[in-house]
Amino acid sequence: MSSHVGLMLVFSAFVSVVFAVLTKDDVDAQLRTGVILFAGFGGACILLGWLMFPFPL
Amino acid sequence: MFSHVGSGHLGWDSLVQRKSVVSGGLAGILVCVIAWAFPGAGHLWLGRVQKGTVFLIVLPLMFLFGLWLEGQVFWFDLSQPLVALAALADLGIGLPYLLTRFFDAGEGRVVAVTYEYGNTFLVAAGLLNSLVVLDAYDIALGRK
Repeated sequence: MSSHVGLMLVFSAFVSVVFAVLTKDDVDAQLRTGVILFAGFGGACILLGWLMFPFPL
Repeated sequence: MFSHVGSGHLGWDSLVQRKSVVSGGLAGILVCVIAWAFPGAGHLWLGRVQKGTVFLIVLPLMFLFGLWLEGQVFWFDLSQPLVALAALADLGIGLPYLLTRFFDAGEGRVVAVTYEYGNTFLVAAGLLNSLVVLDAYDIALGRK
C-alpha cells in the first residue's frame, strides 16, 4: 500500500477515532465528531492538493 | 485508593462508568504509568470501558500499521535533536515501544517508499497515547 491519499485516509481514520472518543462521552456525539473530523481531513487534503496546482511549491 | 461514586454520563459508558476520585498524588501517577504502558488501560481501570477499549484497539493497531509500513522506531540520539524528539514521541505509546526495541524490530527501511508514512504513524500513535494518558490523569483526579 503506497497510495498517498489511501494512507492519508487511513491515518485520518485513526486520528479521528481517537480524538472523537477522547473529547466526547456520548456515543452519538463521538460518531458525529469522528465523521466531521474525518471529512475535514479528507476535504482539507483535496483542497490543499488543488491549491498546489496553481501555486506549486 | 479510589472511591467510585454514582454515574453521570449518557450512552454506553453510563452502564459502567463511575466518577473516580484519586485520594493521593501517587495514585494519579500510577494511573498515568498504567495508561502509558498499556494504551487504554488507564481508562479501563477508571471504569471508562468504552473509551478504554477503543484506545486499547486503535492505538496499538496504529503503531503496528506504522511498523508494517516499514517505519523506524527511533532511539534517543542526542547528537541529532530531531531524532531525539521523534524517539520521545515514539516512546509515548508505552510498552509496544519497549517491546519493539527489545525484539530489535522497527529498524525501518529508509529506501522503502512507505518509510516516512510509517514514521508518521508511529510518531502520531505515541503522541495520541500521550493525550490519552493526560485524559486518564484528569479523570483520576475527578476533573472530568
